[in-house]
Amino acid sequence: MRRRRASDWSYSIVLGMLAALGFTILVGPVVIVLLTSFTEGRSIKFPPSGLSLQWYRLLFDPVRSSQIHRAAMNSLEVALIAMASATVLATLAAVGLARRRGAWVRAVDTFFMSPMILPMLAFGLAALMYFTFMGFRPSLALIAVGHVVVISPLVLRTTAASLSQLDPALLESSASLGAGWLYTFRRVTLPVIAPGIAAGAFLAFVASLDNVPVSLFLAGPRSDMLPIRIGLRRADRDGAGADAGDGAGGRPHATLAWMTLMRQP
Amino acid sequence: MTGTRGHTLDIVAVTHRYGAVTAVADVSLAVRAGEIVALLGPSGCGKTTLLRVVAGFVRPQAGSVRIDGAAIDGLPANLRNVGIVFQNYALFPHMTVAQNVAYGLEARGRPRAEVRRTVETFLDVVRLGDFRDRLPRQLSGGQQQRVALARALAVEPTVLLLDEPFNALDKGLRLDMQIEIKRLQRQFGLTAILVTHDQDEAMSVADRIAVMNHGRVEQFDTPVNVYDRPATLFVSGFVGTTNLLRGRALEAKNGCAVVTLDAGARLTVRTERAFTAGVPVVLSARPEQLCLYTAPAPERWSVTRRLSVPLGPNTMHDLETRDGATLKLIEPRHAYGVDAKEEVWCGLRPEAEPGLFDASSI
Repeated sequence: MRRRRASDWSYSIVLGMLAALGFTILVGPVVIVLLTSFTEGRSIKFPPSGLSLQWYRLLFDPVRSSQIHRAAMNSLEVALIAMASATVLATLAAVGLARRRGAWVRAVDTFFMSPMILPMLAFGLAALMYFTFMGFRPSLALIAVGHVVVISPLVLRTTAASLSQLDPALLESSASLGAGWLYTFRRVTLPVIAPGIAAGAFLAFVASLDNVPVSLFLAGPRSDMLPIRIGLRRADRDGAGADAGDGAGGRPHATLAWMTLMRQP
Repeated sequence: MTGTRGHTLDIVAVTHRYGAVTAVADVSLAVRAGEIVALLGPSGCGKTTLLRVVAGFVRPQAGSVRIDGAAIDGLPANLRNVGIVFQNYALFPHMTVAQNVAYGLEARGRPRAEVRRTVETFLDVVRLGDFRDRLPRQLSGGQQQRVALARALAVEPTVLLLDEPFNALDKGLRLDMQIEIKRLQRQFGLTAILVTHDQDEAMSVADRIAVMNHGRVEQFDTPVNVYDRPATLFVSGFVGTTNLLRGRALEAKNGCAVVTLDAGARLTVRTERAFTAGVPVVLSARPEQLCLYTAPAPERWSVTRRLSVPLGPNTMHDLETRDGATLKLIEPRHAYGVDAKEEVWCGLRPEAEPGLFDASSI
């Protein structure tokens, strides 16, 4: 009896320590950054030297943080457009592929999912070369197109998953009650798979918002994106990029260095 | 509700294969107006495929389905006006009871006032008026099934298809729902097809039963005839319990056949079929067609009692014949009071008409 109690006790200890370790690794950095942001000093140091809201004041200053603001608006705009396009395209693809068998169905599915397997950096570079060859100049619109390619698989997967949960008898019931396929799609299929589509859309939005590798290559001089801007600020301070503020030329160097540092895919 | 009265359904020489497997082989059934026909058979016998052919979910490779004599083979499922109730009811999970019942009417673009009126009518018919704003998951199995029925009936289908509708219900509720479906079917004069593997269900609900095996209809007759006069050995074994006794036909004439059983008896059995002398046969006798005797006779065979158990008002005896076959025998409990050690003989009841089949049909 006593021995069993001891083993229960050690089990709880180990489990608790593992939980604490996980918590520290996952949540710790966020908490530290959050606390550091209230610092009074000029350097990033933990614990912060005194408390103030000066950095927040600076962040929301329309003049001094105008570049960050513009980058944030660009990122939001691209994320919204890319999410909406990806959601529509991937939902249609999922519906088209659902409950079909055969080699070509698998091939098409794999093709649609391939951006998830391909390193995004490789896709970004390839997309830049391809679009340049086609005569397009890097722009926000191109970034949105690039994002659609890499975030669509997220929507495709979640939507396909909820479609596979959809009871085919529901569709047959609907047909036997006199509904055509479009009516069935609108009143039965879509409402039932809506949670899956919404989950995919949310993932896609987040993925677009903090995408660096694709934006990096497709961004023009006037299309600054938030995650790149944040990375550049850091790189600037580390002295890795001299003229990183403007122009597409110097940018990739700085950001590549930063990305290697952050181990982004 | 005039549209639902009196539609005939003819299934004409329907054949359907899935790859190399023949699910339905040349099946023809003529269902009369206002009749419930049960498709009864083991799983994989093709009964569900046949139902799906009628519903329009499966295009058969050959054959035709006719409603009131007009072929509907070219029509997609949504233009056939055939109602279906699935095993799991397939209610739309995001719609309330009333919305589910209204669905078919709305899909047909009926005016709003008419939809509301019809929904009320059919919710009353299945006695679910108080549940109209519930979601399906908030209902019991029996209530869900009544919603599925109301939904199917609201569009006034020409034929109602029931795909194992009582499977998911517990036993007590099952009988209630069987009576309910029978009541509604009578009330609306519906032509209906019930797919089931449960013989009791088929017997209690259907006007006629089509017993299916390996994609073919083995017998299409009234429940009483299917039970009392099975057309094939398969039917005699699948519907009800039966005992099989092997033997040889000696002569067959005037609707009677003389048979010697391997168990050691010589019987005369009424049969319509002809047997050549010496051919191996199988006698199929129901437990209640057998009787125990305490004295030997040429038409009785010796058995040993292995077990006797009370079964309500009856006693069920588990017997073994001299040649090793086991028999089940049911008789009123008070009728037999002999000692277990006593030697007994088994024979047919005087009024019994057991089935006699060619042994090669096994």
